[in-house]
Amino acid sequence: MLDARARSRFTRNRAAVVGAAIVVALVAFALLAPLVSSRDPLASDFVHGVGPSMMPMGPSALFPFGADRLFRDELTRLAYGARLSLVIAFAATAIASTIGATVGILSGYYEGSDGVRVPWAVALSLVAGVALVIAGRPGSAALIAAAAVASRLVAHVARVEWLKVGPRVNADGALMRLVDIGLSFPFLLLIIAIGAALDETSARTILVTLGLTGWLGTARIVRAKTMQIRNLDFVMASRALGQRTPVILLRHVLPNVAGPLVVIATVSVAQMIIAESVLSYLGAGISPPTPTWGRMLFEGWDYIQAAPWLVIAPGGAILLAVFGFNLLGEGLRDALDPKEG
Amino acid sequence: MRSIRRKGEALASLALFVGAASLLFNGAACSGALAPPIPAAHPDDPTPRRGGILRLASIGEARRLDPAVLSDALAASAIRLMFDGLVDYDEEKRIVPVLAERWELADEGATYRFFLRQGIRFHDGEELTAEDVRRSIERALHPRTPNPNASLYDALVGFDEYATGAAPHLAGITVEGRYVVSMRLKRPDATFLPKLALPPLRPVCRSAGERYSDGWHPCGTGPFKLPLDGWARGSSLTLVRHDGYFERGLPYLDGVMWLYNMTQFTQRFKLEAGELDIYRDATQAEFSRFHADPRWASLGEAEAETSVAGEGMNVRVAPFDNVEVRRAVAAAIDRDHYAAIKASSLRPAYQPIPPSVPGYNPAIGQRHDHAAALEHMRRAGFAYDPATGKGGYPHVVTYWAYGNSLPEFTSQLLQQDLATIGIRIRIHLVTFPAWLAAYKTPGKTQMHYASQSQDFPDPSDFLEPLFSGKAINAEDSNNSSFYANPELDELLAKARGEIDSTRRQRLYDEATKIVCDDAPWAFTFYNHAYEIRQPYVRGYRPHPIFSMHVARAWIDRAASPSFADGRTPPPLRRVLASIIGGRR
Repeated sequence: MLDARARSRFTRNRAAVVGAAIVVALVAFALLAPLVSSRDPLASDFVHGVGPSMMPMGPSALFPFGADRLFRDELTRLAYGARLSLVIAFAATAIASTIGATVGILSGYYEGSDGVRVPWAVALSLVAGVALVIAGRPGSAALIAAAAVASRLVAHVARVEWLKVGPRVNADGALMRLVDIGLSFPFLLLIIAIGAALDETSARTILVTLGLTGWLGTARIVRAKTMQIRNLDFVMASRALGQRTPVILLRHVLPNVAGPLVVIATVSVAQMIIAESVLSYLGAGISPPTPTWGRMLFEGWDYIQAAPWLVIAPGGAILLAVFGFNLLGEGLRDALDPKEG
Repeated sequence: MRSIRRKGEALASLALFVGAASLLFNGAACSGALAPPIPAAHPDDPTPRRGGILRLASIGEARRLDPAVLSDALAASAIRLMFDGLVDYDEEKRIVPVLAERWELADEGATYRFFLRQGIRFHDGEELTAEDVRRSIERALHPRTPNPNASLYDALVGFDEYATGAAPHLAGITVEGRYVVSMRLKRPDATFLPKLALPPLRPVCRSAGERYSDGWHPCGTGPFKLPLDGWARGSSLTLVRHDGYFERGLPYLDGVMWLYNMTQFTQRFKLEAGELDIYRDATQAEFSRFHADPRWASLGEAEAETSVAGEGMNVRVAPFDNVEVRRAVAAAIDRDHYAAIKASSLRPAYQPIPPSVPGYNPAIGQRHDHAAALEHMRRAGFAYDPATGKGGYPHVVTYWAYGNSLPEFTSQLLQQDLATIGIRIRIHLVTFPAWLAAYKTPGKTQMHYASQSQDFPDPSDFLEPLFSGKAINAEDSNNSSFYANPELDELLAKARGEIDSTRRQRLYDEATKIVCDDAPWAFTFYNHAYEIRQPYVRGYRPHPIFSMHVARAWIDRAASPSFADGRTPPPLRRVLASIIGGRR
């Protein structure tokens, strides 16, 4: 994906290199958390952590970034918090990119056609799958999805005609209207509403929330790219040779939208970090005592004037991470964009 | 072309980053000095001055302003200003007559006969009579009135028949003349007068009718009344002076105003700007700033400790059905750590009765003793070795608390303390209403944060609702540990009927000992608010029992620099300036 020319374009772009360095440093910070500090991120230190007038200790040799309001080491929590914050951001981005790419490619490929025949088996399992995901049973949803795929295979291999029967659906229209509806809600507002509606939030619910709401923009961009690619000669040629549609989409279209997809995903990681912080900041995030950057910010905000390190440390980490991922994403975009090359 | 664009873009994003970072640092690091207090105009003159509106604020809001359905502390403060009772507590925690001129006891202490003051006017101008007292009590205790406090008055003769709807009137209340009303109890009860001093039975205007209804405009005999447009639900409540108040010359203020749903931050800025007169919701961090400033340090005062918090354990489910495990929890918790995370308002608690309540005996209580806790665990069959981390209770205990508040932090300390004796807990944070519903429902929680605020200053007000067997309910159970002990119930019943205060004290000591030892709760802390007030607020000090009892306050405000030229200070600019770090 990143050929020699793109690579050299990337390395010549100083901003991109800085971004990459920041991202690598953050990942290292998270992975090496036990080396960053030998302290326990969850243990209060009532001996050394308590400062004058019972306020948490400020930055010092023992507590480089100060102590938090429960007298725990802020630096240690920051390092362990990086793990969960980054894992959630990456995983949510992976979910969002997968959904976004699927919807975008299907939508773009069928744009302008007079509808696709959607077999009843597929249509029903789609509805059931979405319902199950909403009901919080993603495992059953995955089973249903597998069943739908199996029904297609059976229909194809064993030529079971009734499995092919179904209504003609304007796939592009339906999917894009769905995206329109989703995009009409501001992203952060949407996840806040979902976060508030959940009785209890955990890493899993946050992941699903972010993943299921973050794919809309991706779908739009991938669709546009797909519409470009489907008219290129090699796609036409393989259609003319009777290649099956799924194969065309996977073999020819997907690799060609991968570039923009990676760029969006990189920038989206930054967005997900912010989104997780917002959720945690509003108290709808991970349950204590597990640290995440957003949760640390939430726990420290009312100490902003008396113990400013409690806001500066996680706030700075979020700022740096978002900055790094954005620079990296822009660098990748410039390196991969053939028009500008 | 391209390189220029990219350079510009990179520069712009760098500038943005630097800008954002400096904003973050500046805002956080600017711990600018507090604005000076606004002095009193005549600090040496003790003569009260009339006029002015006293402005208070809260992070919450009052929900209902009808004494018959009193359910939150903020409403109670406002209701106390609007409705006077027959009797009330004075500043020395003594019961004194208010609407009643005097009372006498008959039937060996089982009947109270109240003689009302004559010429007392309701806010609507009508005169208060004994008939109004009867009507108000029947209205408050009627089975269709959603009165959460009705059972407090079950000592009245005929209460049960009336509460079930079997009798049309409350037999225990008799009007004996235009200004004389008597109340008959089933048996002598030392807690009756204290309960009568609470808001629920206070006389209400005739407009309230015989039965409770939602839309009634609050109207009583208190020093302040609610104007028609006085209550902007969710944002503010303004009360104005009742000119016909029976105490001549009172109240001094023209009005009292509460600003609701206001964050601590905003409240503090408003106090500094002279737009708020008393600031009550200070966080620990804010408190430490005021405390460190010599100009402000002496202007703060702690309210009485009238509530107790603890870790409630459901004695019906494992592992807390085993008293040894409960004792282990009670001994494992380091209360000093709890108090340290909010030193401005928490004090360690080892027993259910707050120190401000008459009958508090400091000699009784649970103790923090790690070795003893491990021994209790061993006796329970869950021996734990702290050195190796082996043993302990094999399952994870789920602990319910509500988020965005103190329990969110204390629960993390509990988790640390219990880990040292081999009990692992998972903190289950929910919203406040969800927590409220869950922990008072039998079988719903294993362990939870629990707290109890005083209705009236008496040991029975803590021991009976929390630990007596009859306080167990199928829903909304005040006894949220579902702890039932016949021996304790008997002691409590005996103490309630005991008029002699020494003997009564001895019975409550006995009961407190049982509760501490059986440990349905591990008691953790007493909580009180810390009030910071501008020096020009006079005639007011925190009441030993009630919160924000400002009936006799007055305002004597010197012209402050920011007000001298008649302009109001621009609050928005001040807020922005302090966040961005500009000069004050």
